[in-house]
Amino acid sequence: MTNKGLLSSGLARVAHNKRYIFWFWLLNLTLAEFGTAAFRRSAHAILDHRLLAERLVKGFDWGIFGNLLAKPEFGSMNSKTTPALYFGFTFLLATALFLPGIFAGYASNYRLPREEFFRACGRNLWRFIRIMIVAGILMGIIAGLLFNANGAIVKKADDSTNEKLSFELQMIGLGVIFLVMTILRIWFDLAEVDTVLNDQSAVRKSIAAAFHHTFRSLARLLGSYVVVTIVAALLLVGGLWIWMKFVSPESVYGAFVVAQITLLLLLIPRFWQRGIAVSYWQMRMLAPVIAVPPVEPIPVLSVATPPVPEPAPVVSSPSIPPTETPQS
Amino acid sequence: MKIRWRMIAVLVICAISLIALTLRKNATAAPQSPAPSNATVPLLPADQFLSIPDTTLAINSTTPLSQRIVHYAIDAKYDASKHTVDATEVLTYHNLTGQSLDHFPFHLYQNAFQPNATFVRDAKLMGTRDTGYEKWEAKYYGSENIKSIEVVGQGDLTRNLQFVAPDDNNKDDKTVVDLRLARPIPAGTFVQFKIAFQTNFPETQARSGWKRDFVLGGQWFPKVGVWWHGAWNCHQYHNTTEFFADFGVYDVKLTIPQNEVVGASGVEVSNVNNSDGTKTVTYHGDDIHDFAWTVSPRYRVHESTYQAQMGPIQLRFLMQPAHWDQVERHERITRETLDRFEKWYGPYPYKTLTVVDPEPGSAAGGMEYPTFITGETEWWLPDGLHDVEGVVEHEFGHQYWYGMVATNEFEDAWMDEGINSYTEVKVLDSILGQNTSVRNFAGATYGERGEQRDFYIGAADLDPMAKNAFGYVNSFSYGSVTYGKTASVLLTLEGIIGEETMTRAMQTYFMKYRFTHPAKEDFLKTIEEVSGKDLRWYFNQAVYGTQVLDYEVLGANSYPTNWFEEKKDDPKKEKSAKDKSTVYQSYVTVHRKGDFVMPIDVEVKFDNDEKVREHWDGQSRWTRFSYVKKAKVASVEIDPDHIIHIDRDNFNDSLVVDPNPKATHKLSTYWLFVTQWMSQAMAWWAV
Repeated sequence: MTNKGLLSSGLARVAHNKRYIFWFWLLNLTLAEFGTAAFRRSAHAILDHRLLAERLVKGFDWGIFGNLLAKPEFGSMNSKTTPALYFGFTFLLATALFLPGIFAGYASNYRLPREEFFRACGRNLWRFIRIMIVAGILMGIIAGLLFNANGAIVKKADDSTNEKLSFELQMIGLGVIFLVMTILRIWFDLAEVDTVLNDQSAVRKSIAAAFHHTFRSLARLLGSYVVVTIVAALLLVGGLWIWMKFVSPESVYGAFVVAQITLLLLLIPRFWQRGIAVSYWQMRMLAPVIAVPPVEPIPVLSVATPPVPEPAPVVSSPSIPPTETPQS
Repeated sequence: MKIRWRMIAVLVICAISLIALTLRKNATAAPQSPAPSNATVPLLPADQFLSIPDTTLAINSTTPLSQRIVHYAIDAKYDASKHTVDATEVLTYHNLTGQSLDHFPFHLYQNAFQPNATFVRDAKLMGTRDTGYEKWEAKYYGSENIKSIEVVGQGDLTRNLQFVAPDDNNKDDKTVVDLRLARPIPAGTFVQFKIAFQTNFPETQARSGWKRDFVLGGQWFPKVGVWWHGAWNCHQYHNTTEFFADFGVYDVKLTIPQNEVVGASGVEVSNVNNSDGTKTVTYHGDDIHDFAWTVSPRYRVHESTYQAQMGPIQLRFLMQPAHWDQVERHERITRETLDRFEKWYGPYPYKTLTVVDPEPGSAAGGMEYPTFITGETEWWLPDGLHDVEGVVEHEFGHQYWYGMVATNEFEDAWMDEGINSYTEVKVLDSILGQNTSVRNFAGATYGERGEQRDFYIGAADLDPMAKNAFGYVNSFSYGSVTYGKTASVLLTLEGIIGEETMTRAMQTYFMKYRFTHPAKEDFLKTIEEVSGKDLRWYFNQAVYGTQVLDYEVLGANSYPTNWFEEKKDDPKKEKSAKDKSTVYQSYVTVHRKGDFVMPIDVEVKFDNDEKVREHWDGQSRWTRFSYVKKAKVASVEIDPDHIIHIDRDNFNDSLVVDPNPKATHKLSTYWLFVTQWMSQAMAWWAV
């Protein structure tokens, strides 16, 4: 299986299950609406009756925006960012909750009924939380070490007379961190897929199997994931470019539509990566089936059908004892 | 005979004792001589040969432009490996104080960078824009030591040097040293000091020192104080102060490694390679009051000529290699700024201007010295972020407000930084646009006048403008008031007296006080004279006071005059008729929230598009306007011409009766996008 095969197979799964993207976008939007309610309420109270607000409509004046944030009536920025963070965290948990159903849907070759979707979700929730905890600890430690190392290198590079050196090293460092974190993500994506599709209650077994496969097919998996991440970056840049280029500053609806289309499209790449993980699992990680020798076809001979005997008359019979199931 | 000889011997012994006692008395009394008087003291032989040169090599003028008080001839050798300067300085001082002087104070600015110095103590207490000194490091240490000082005709007086701390009595502060002379210097005569000193630069702090292989030599030599308003003015170096010095002539020889690229104040006179791998570059400056220099082996140099009103100016740009693609930006803003200053305020008379792009990450950016400024940029800076333009324009402006109009930066910081911030707004607005002069990037904008006002309102009521720079509650208040408040106060003043009058007043002030040391009243009186207005009511609050201006529209109400009549017929039918024929009683209430009293205009707009202008003297706390019209009040705006730039809260300056939530919806859309994207990004990595 080539990278291209993985990519196209993963994308096909996303395409066959487009509804998941829509629901996740709707969930993302709904939660964010709650998360931004405090900001909206404060802004309404200050801006709606003031002529100065025009300078935020016809353009975006940093000074006016700064004055708005600095007003005591607006409240602290913490009071605005904290709810947004909480709802962001809720979206994360919701993703963890519904992801097993999505994996099940991606693995099935038919449209997964709602019951099966939610059954997969419920059945794997605790397993996913355990995987998340393990992944969080590992990724946190490794990211912490890498960022510290990167920071130390960049600080050292500050002594250089080459002004761009520290920036270049920082970019290289961030690139390395991105690759390492992507490898970890692949590992835990495969572990999640294995948990769901293998119905593996012992998540350590899935994590171990995924670890083995991640490094066995590292180049192929990493290449696929990186390509998808680049697509995500392009989508984001493209969306922002269209927003700035084609949406007039006064057009609130235009801004909303472009922003939401961009965000909807931005959900695709991550689901695509998950589709890739499912494809890989089905191709490489599915439990091996015992090889069965090919069955020789036996020629069908025409035989004379014996005459069917007459049915016996119905009589009462003694009770039949239950069949004992042999214990394995 | 025997007796006679004895008598003679006794008389001789007595005479010798008397002479010895007299001489001893004179010797001990000399250092404690009483206050100098105007009594004629015999001239020292050396005085007859001393003078201040009347050279014009560095200016586009055939005669000196300033009353030259000092002549510094410095021969300095820079050791790039140790960041030290070993130098000799010959300072000739012309005593034009009108009285004899028996002591001379000198600034030793580099001694500020020592752990117990007032500068560091202030920085720890008041905050700083540079080094925070949370932990002392050896590289922060700077020093300026006078090895010997000789007064021509009076011999070596090194032992007479005494550190003084006139501002705070800090015994550990060594930024001012006082030299008591053996004999006073009579009024109208000259005195010459021969000083040997060593300066040890710290890693850049307060726009002076080294970073990697770069150095900015600012405030690096012993500099005599200024006799001002009948006394020596020689303050200690504080975290929030800059400098003050007399005009004169500078001849400076810098011996540096041959691989270094050098830039300095004044004009380059010679450049000679020495056999020991060094070169000696000589500079000459006329009618300047300081001398700064920089070296780095990596500067890339761009030179061009600007044809100014008094003659050509050689523009010299010393750029960091990674910023070479921004040299055009530097040159463009320099030329356009020169153009505006010459057109609006007066001519730039010097033959050179050196613009230095200092070492990245150094605290050397954004500094002014005569004919020599430092900018600051980043290699990635896009065109729409006008940081380069802002800093180059600002530092060039100091050539006028500090360089030529040489105010006392210790006592009247607002007169250089603040007036300069005001002209910065004017110049940058005219070049880059009023609302886009700071930021014009990705659809977001920010203007200079907004930036100055925002700086001001951050610390609006803590300190007045008229205050010693080292007397502010903290460094933020110092910056907020001296830069932001002054600029905003002058912009508002411009609104009061008119833009054309203000420009004329600024030009008059510059032309009248260039090459002098004006004080605050010189400036304020010039404004009053040119405008022909008594502006004390404004200056007392804005310059000398801490009053804060804040007007608000407290309310706007309209109701039908026949509100008590019973409604009849079809409500829909009645409504359409009512819109045109109903007479409304309307009230508009305006409130002065702050303690700054200023007359204001108020514009009331009705829903039939009729506008009414009101004027209120602002004396009482609030006022109410009432109207009876066939229209309701739609909106109210205080200061509709936007001439007031010191109102602390601009949001409450207007009131729109019917809400318009468009701005809120727009901001909410942005915030929604950020929130959604952040949650997606979190979920991307976490699960």
